[in-house]
Amino acid sequence: MGKSILKTLVKVLNTKPHFNEQSNQERMELKAQDISTNYEQNLENFKQIFSIPKNVDVKVREFTIRALNRHAFIIYLNTMTDIELIQKSILMPLIENEHAAGKIQDIVSFPVEKTITNIGDITENITSGITALIVDGDHQCYVFETSKVQGRSIEKSDNEVIVRGAKEAFNEKLADNMGLIRKKIKNENLIFEHFIVSKRSRNDVMLVYEKDLINHETLHSLKDKLKAIEVDSVLDLSLLEQYLEERPRSLFPTILNTERPDRAVSFIEEGHIVILMSNSPNCLVLPATFWSLFHSPEDHYLRVPYGNFIRILRLVALFISMFSSSFYIAITNYHVGMIPPDLLMAIAGARERVPFPSIIEILMMEIAFELIREAGLRVPSPIGPTIGIVGALILGQAAVQANVISPIVIIVIALSGLSSFIISDTSLNFAIRLSRFLFIFAAGFIGIYGFGALIVLGLFYLTSLKSFGVPYFAPMTPHFFSSKDLIIRHVPMKERFRPGYLKPKDMVKQRKE
Amino acid sequence: MLRIKVVCEILVIFLMISILTGCWDREELEDRAYVIGIGLDRSEHKGKIQVTMLLANPEVGSVQGGGGSPEKPREIISFDANDIIAAKGTVNSIISRIISYDLLKIIVVSEELARDSRFTSIIYDIINDKEIRMNAYLAVSNEKASEYFLKNKPRMETRPHKYYQYMIHHGIENGLIPDSTLFRFFTTLERGSDLFLAMNTAAKREKSPRYKSEDEYTAGQVEASGEFDDTQFIGSAVFKDGVMVGKINGLETVLANVLDDSTNIKDLLVDVPNPFPGRRKQIAVRLMKREKNKVKMDLKGERPQIFITIPLRVVLMTNPSKVDFSEKRNQEIIKKAIKTHTENLYEKLLLHTQKEYKEAPYPLSFYARKYFGTIQEFEKFNWAKKYQNAVIHMKSEIKIIDYGKKQSEIDKGEK
Amino acid sequence: MKQKPGKLGIREYAAIAILMVGSKATEDTPAFLYTGSQNAAWMVPILSAVVFFVPLFLLIKTISLFQGKNLFSVIQQLLGKYIGFLVCLVIFIISSLGISYDSRTYIDIIKAFYFNSTPHLVLYAILMAICTYGAKKGIQHIGSVSYLIVFYTLLSGYFIFIISFQDSNFQAILPIWGSGIPRIFKESIHRLPLFADFFLLTMLIPYLKSSKEFRKGTWIAYSYVTIHISTAILMFIVLFDRSSGAIGYPFHTLIRYISLGNYIPNVEIIFFVIWIMGAFIRFTAFLYVNALMFGYMFKIKDFEYLIPSLAAIYLMIGIIPESSMDVSHDLKPMVQSAAGPAFAAISLMVWIAALLKGEFKHAKNKSGL
Repeated sequence: MGKSILKTLVKVLNTKPHFNEQSNQERMELKAQDISTNYEQNLENFKQIFSIPKNVDVKVREFTIRALNRHAFIIYLNTMTDIELIQKSILMPLIENEHAAGKIQDIVSFPVEKTITNIGDITENITSGITALIVDGDHQCYVFETSKVQGRSIEKSDNEVIVRGAKEAFNEKLADNMGLIRKKIKNENLIFEHFIVSKRSRNDVMLVYEKDLINHETLHSLKDKLKAIEVDSVLDLSLLEQYLEERPRSLFPTILNTERPDRAVSFIEEGHIVILMSNSPNCLVLPATFWSLFHSPEDHYLRVPYGNFIRILRLVALFISMFSSSFYIAITNYHVGMIPPDLLMAIAGARERVPFPSIIEILMMEIAFELIREAGLRVPSPIGPTIGIVGALILGQAAVQANVISPIVIIVIALSGLSSFIISDTSLNFAIRLSRFLFIFAAGFIGIYGFGALIVLGLFYLTSLKSFGVPYFAPMTPHFFSSKDLIIRHVPMKERFRPGYLKPKDMVKQRKE
Repeated sequence: MLRIKVVCEILVIFLMISILTGCWDREELEDRAYVIGIGLDRSEHKGKIQVTMLLANPEVGSVQGGGGSPEKPREIISFDANDIIAAKGTVNSIISRIISYDLLKIIVVSEELARDSRFTSIIYDIINDKEIRMNAYLAVSNEKASEYFLKNKPRMETRPHKYYQYMIHHGIENGLIPDSTLFRFFTTLERGSDLFLAMNTAAKREKSPRYKSEDEYTAGQVEASGEFDDTQFIGSAVFKDGVMVGKINGLETVLANVLDDSTNIKDLLVDVPNPFPGRRKQIAVRLMKREKNKVKMDLKGERPQIFITIPLRVVLMTNPSKVDFSEKRNQEIIKKAIKTHTENLYEKLLLHTQKEYKEAPYPLSFYARKYFGTIQEFEKFNWAKKYQNAVIHMKSEIKIIDYGKKQSEIDKGEK
Repeated sequence: MKQKPGKLGIREYAAIAILMVGSKATEDTPAFLYTGSQNAAWMVPILSAVVFFVPLFLLIKTISLFQGKNLFSVIQQLLGKYIGFLVCLVIFIISSLGISYDSRTYIDIIKAFYFNSTPHLVLYAILMAICTYGAKKGIQHIGSVSYLIVFYTLLSGYFIFIISFQDSNFQAILPIWGSGIPRIFKESIHRLPLFADFFLLTMLIPYLKSSKEFRKGTWIAYSYVTIHISTAILMFIVLFDRSSGAIGYPFHTLIRYISLGNYIPNVEIIFFVIWIMGAFIRFTAFLYVNALMFGYMFKIKDFEYLIPSLAAIYLMIGIIPESSMDVSHDLKPMVQSAAGPAFAAISLMVWIAALLKGEFKHAKNKSGL
């Protein structure tokens, strides 16, 4: 009873605003029609749809096909198409060819992609850079794949820098990205499945997987999720990531986002699914576990001892960046006996003149560090390095000299801040940086007891996380059969199994003949 | 949306609590006064004790570039209190900060109080204070503990905790003072069958100490001249059932440490009478104990027989008579000399303590345990009583591993 | 891709069992054992394990006749509705009191050694809150977390063991028989509740992949824990010798005493963190098992929702005793002296009932067919 009252109350308070939307019924109807054989009407229709001549980059060119002696026009977006190509392989043959020929296909040297009749479909094609040819008296429209999108070429990976291994990164062009993957897996089982999400801007999404490896349940649940997205537009892959995640509010990521094709390919080979999207210079890998986020491709490119060295280094860095400042708080505020006497004396001596409690001190510096970090990222690149120096100088040296911060705090913060850079995955990096604050509060609240309690709480939370049905710490716990590439990696010859939590169709990577 | 809001609210509350609560156990570390040493003396008032606290000033000697801080490196306070625990409260009327025993290194008891029969119950209070760690050291000072701390002004280590850390650490390493942690004190006390050795210290030199050979000094007797602090750590105070009964000198402490397998004493330098003719009567040797002692007992009969074998490795450091040790005969002679000398030393120590204190200066009773099946039998046997009449046979197993430089080389060098 | 929820692997199960029982070496149990049989106390866990092995073996054998049934359903099936219910109730009450007083002991330790002036209630509430959160996540996640930390717990244990070596005197275990052989035997029988948790863990059988895994996991954990506790007690004896009895919580006294050289004199906090993590897991699993029992007895299907209220009740029971002395000298021994014989007797009773009812023959016939 009480609950229902509460619910209605919430409803009353949380009313959604209503908008009086203008009806575009007329256009919808127009789009649903097929093109007519009447040349003038077609021209009129398209001019109306694309608001010509208001719309600058939509070009309509009328001409006569001499071979057929008929009127025709092509319509295209000049910003999305290769104009030279249109000129050379569509217009020139059509205008100059005098030999009588029965079909457009015979005249045009351009491979005709297809013929469409629906106005709506044609419109969609045009918007994605396709040239449409409409001939007088013909009831179908010829569309030519002439799209040429402006964009970056393939460049070096910026955010996931490695020393050894392939340097190329995804760019914003879907075709390029697909090529980058395809050229690494020369196998007919590699599938690029096209998918369209969102209603209005109709964003292209590619599901990439190997069909003889993938677990079909995962694929189906992913497709269901993609279909269930009901929004007008999903502009970027990172947005799609949030739509797909089971717990979008969670601190820890459950989908891996990478810009390195080699990394994506290694996951495809293991039986994961990769999602590409047009206009996004990265890809999503799912299901992702803690380990896949924690590992870096370089671990495997380097020889076993070196690779393991950087892995252990990364693990240590993870612990340092997560726990060092809170451990400092716990120890200095509650368990002073832990500190070696000399250090204790030094800290106490330095802190005597500091006006703030140490938790405020730590928080101040943590926030300052985050500020420097964020500022360094945002400032225009010519003055970027200066910001770092200025920040370090001012906040470090001056703050100590002004007795605002004690020197040991600078060390602690610098250590934890630097260590956080070693975690290369952006999402995991954020997760650790944020959970650091939780630990600081817990330690400030009740010392090492709160600290330990929060660790256990966090572990409970993390183990209960799932990425498309795969537990976060799999295959460590719950145990699955795998090649045991967790904290320590083995020699490549021994890593023979695909991770069992994916339930791939083919477990063994290199089958002995 | 609602969930995020709730989480945020909880976080804010959490943050408030964590910053604002100054109560419970949270205490900024500069808010505490760190007690490095506690001194215990007999008080003039009945039923009370005089407690002295040595507090370290963290600002001195640790803040870099702070220049000459006018503050002193330490503070010393003496006052009367009912017990050690209560003292912690009383002292806050004098000291501006909260007293913390986290860095407590040493508890100095004046000889006067240590010999008092009340001492056991006084020191037992320490167990109740969880802040006092069992690895703090117990020391006995010749003078009053309050005076001891005042007189003790180390020249090199102005910071008191460093001074005691170095002094005690190296003293124990050399074997001149026993490893007298509170932990050992209490376990010995509970066991009740052996003597406990606490380090002996003095901040005042005796006026005209008698010259003695090498280490046969107790604290305050070592004669040295020059510019230094007068404090000495040498020898040990003997506790029987938690009350001090006597003192033994530095050499005896070294020997007791060698006998005790539970200390990890490294090497020690000893002078052995020179068995060869020559003007200098002593040979310096380095004794090293690498293996455990072998102890056998025959506990039947009125007078138990105890056989102790001490394996020692010896390095000859000097060769005053310029003996050629490549000769077997000479080797035998020096070996025998060292053997008899060390055996004598040990026997003397054990006889001395047996006669005077009726117990062994190290946990010898442990070795007797294996001859009994149950605790009850062992207790019935009554080690403490039987030991008084025990006959002790000492035997050293000498292995000379280095005879020093060859004589011919030395001769060459002299030419 | 949805996995069947709540299936425990053998590793996770063994980890839970080891953490639950193994942590007994770190509270006041060793001191009790020492007062009972002095320096032969290290034998007691081994002997108790041998004694308790018999009822536990019979119980597991009986339960394994009923595929995928837990302890309570087997009891109710064999002993009838009313007697069965009564027996279940007894078990539930004993284990409820057990969790209350055990958790209280932990709080007492935390308060005495690390947080002197923090109120009991705050420490207790945090403990129970974390345990509630964990228990609500389900047994699978409890298992995962315990598997993640069990190695660190054990490693830290070995580490302490090695460091404490240098101050230990191994002659302290002599005279070998301590306070006499008859006394040791008596103590061993008296200390059966050391392993009572294994009895309670049979509630988890339906959550394991197979009853074979349960059996295997139980025996692995059982033998490991026996050695673990026994070694721990040995460690305390050789270090503290006669004072072992006087020291209430030897583990914590020990970690306060040990040091890593002169420059890092105190390291107890590192061990404390690991210890407290183990303790959280222990009570989480304990709480979950209790909720499971309660849910089963009163036919509550979504027993997860009971966990917060049960935790609150345990907190209230635990907070009643005024001092730690009351808990460790009166209440806990009382519960324990009830738990050991009761659990052993119930195990035997169940087995006899199964024998009389001919369940074993049925099973044989079934397998014969």
